[in-house]
Amino acid sequence: MNYFAGVDIGSTAIKIVLIDDTKNIISSKVTPTGSQFRKNAVDALHAMLADCNLAFDELAYVISTGYGRKLLKEADESVSEITANAIGAMEAGREHGVINTIINIGGQDTKAIQIDESGTVTNFAMNEKCAAGTGKFLDVTARNLEIELEELGDYHLNLKTAPLPINSTCVVFAESEIIGLLADGHGKEEIVAGIHYSIAKRTIRLAKRVGLEGLVYFDGGPALNKGLVASMEDELGKKIVIPDFPQITTALGASVLAYEAYLDEMESA
Amino acid sequence: MNRLLMVTSSGWKKEIKVSNDPKTDEKKTAFNLTHQAIEAESMLRRIKDDFPDNPESMNYFYDLYQQVYCEGRSVYDKEKIVGTMCVQVPEELIYAAGGVPVRLCSGFYTDDQHGAEFMPAKSCSLVKATLGMLSNKSTLPFINKVKTVVSPTTCDQKRKAGAIIEEMGYDVYNMELPPLKESEEARLYWQRSIHKFSVSLKEITGNKITKDSLKKAIGKTAAAQKAYRKLHNLRKETPPVLLGKDVFMITNAYFFDKIENWTAAVNKLNEELEQRKEEKFSAAQRRAPRILFTGSPAIFPNLKLPVLIEESGGVIVADENCSSNRMLYDMITVDEWNMSNMVDGIADNYLKPCTCPIFTNNDDRKRKLINMSQEFAVDGVVYQTFSGCQVYSMEQSSITKVLRDEGIPVLLVESDYSPDDMGQLSTRVEAFIESLKAKKRRK
Repeated sequence: MNYFAGVDIGSTAIKIVLIDDTKNIISSKVTPTGSQFRKNAVDALHAMLADCNLAFDELAYVISTGYGRKLLKEADESVSEITANAIGAMEAGREHGVINTIINIGGQDTKAIQIDESGTVTNFAMNEKCAAGTGKFLDVTARNLEIELEELGDYHLNLKTAPLPINSTCVVFAESEIIGLLADGHGKEEIVAGIHYSIAKRTIRLAKRVGLEGLVYFDGGPALNKGLVASMEDELGKKIVIPDFPQITTALGASVLAYEAYLDEMESA
Repeated sequence: MNRLLMVTSSGWKKEIKVSNDPKTDEKKTAFNLTHQAIEAESMLRRIKDDFPDNPESMNYFYDLYQQVYCEGRSVYDKEKIVGTMCVQVPEELIYAAGGVPVRLCSGFYTDDQHGAEFMPAKSCSLVKATLGMLSNKSTLPFINKVKTVVSPTTCDQKRKAGAIIEEMGYDVYNMELPPLKESEEARLYWQRSIHKFSVSLKEITGNKITKDSLKKAIGKTAAAQKAYRKLHNLRKETPPVLLGKDVFMITNAYFFDKIENWTAAVNKLNEELEQRKEEKFSAAQRRAPRILFTGSPAIFPNLKLPVLIEESGGVIVADENCSSNRMLYDMITVDEWNMSNMVDGIADNYLKPCTCPIFTNNDDRKRKLINMSQEFAVDGVVYQTFSGCQVYSMEQSSITKVLRDEGIPVLLVESDYSPDDMGQLSTRVEAFIESLKAKKRRK
């Protein structure tokens, strides 16, 4: 049996997926990136292999992706997270049908990717420079409201009134806007929902640049947030496919690419 | 030394040093310690050292950048330098009047930061950098010598920058350009504008243009263009004989190098590339996706996007840029070698083929991009716009549409001179190159 790993080193979290040669997921892991992300990635990979009773040299091929992709010398090669995301979404979304558009919200950026039936990227758009409306934004919101990041979805779904309009897209300015709204006596539910709708509006606008025909798939850590998902569906006017584990799609894609690269290598050898 | 506190119009308190004895107070920084030199050095090293197999003949250009931008030594001595703000200033007329045109469009981030003082926050890096460079007389070696700046009335930002440059103490010559190029009225308007410039040059350089001097000047630029065209055509080869980052270095050197030396160096390089062609030598991976680069101009040291493309495994085989192809490709045609006919011929050459988005209608640009994509067997187009460059941003959607309708993938990149988006840009460029490779594989 051969094993293949995809290691996605993002700005906020390191995601690792291990598959076998039937493309079955053997194990997956999510761990904070931290400051020593190369060491953290290698440690996490070794810990995962130990859990599965595997040695490092039993890995036939490793592909790294994400911001830290080029620094992981343990990998056989690296691919950009856009290519890896496309392949991962095609695999993870297969049970729902053929995915056309992927929306990914990460720790620091937002992407919209259009793919064809083979998982090849045909067009994509990404936020320029500014990290407005990304995972970081949700992080700061939760901290300001003194609630857990995981609770944002519940607050949103408990909303009894209308969401508040949030005008600032800048994380720094939004912080003071939120403080102002709290001072005016607004409830946390209204604010959380307002933030979600403002992110959703921004994201759908970006995604429109690549087209939104067919099945739309949403992944990245923020896709775990049910409130944000509901707002995205409202903005889009249709249902969105959310995978079971939205954080690991890109790592899954990298592991599938590792598997394919290994097959190519065997063929040409 | 006295210190004065001044409150500026924006309300900031600014400390002004008033020196009684400038000799003791002044500190002149060695050129190689300026931010410009540091910036230039780092990009030059990347261009030279990060790529294997640079042609021997590229050393002429690498050394030239080292001399001018890293060490601050100009190639000129007593020549009468005439600064130009744009590709639409006819060089032939300046040469014929005994002057030397030097293009002032700056690619330095340091200059961009200096220039921000004069312009609104969301304006074009190139215009800001040009102002920044001109405002700081100790920075670039040829700037000290520039007295006159010729500014064609092209985009809003460049036009208004002309007035600011005048306030800095330069003589500014505004050369009037029509907003359309197809109509007969526009052609006549521009011809009059060029005739007027040819007469005014006497006041700028002190020499009158004669029939002979103009004919000689046209010959001089024609020789340079001939060398460029040869290089341009060599880029059609598969496998590619030269990387695009080097072509940008070459065309960019045309901004400030002595034209005869430049032409000789390009001819020498062409010979080496002919050799490469015969040996089937490949300057990039054989299946590297072939890229056409267009949009806001790539100017040293802001070559981050071209370099990223080639570091990610693509190869730039053609460009539609006013710092490169648009500056050198089109040659002057003259019916009769008399003064009036020559000046008209020059005027036509600087208007008709120009595909700058400042023109109201610009279908020429669409046609040119499609033709070039076919001629150079292009796999994808990278379209750069500087944040704040309205005309290129506004043309983005229609250009993208016609290219995609032709089945040519396009990557749009909005960026500026600051290096802080390198990480994000590299992800996008790599993903684009990967998608082109995947598309090629399936063909």
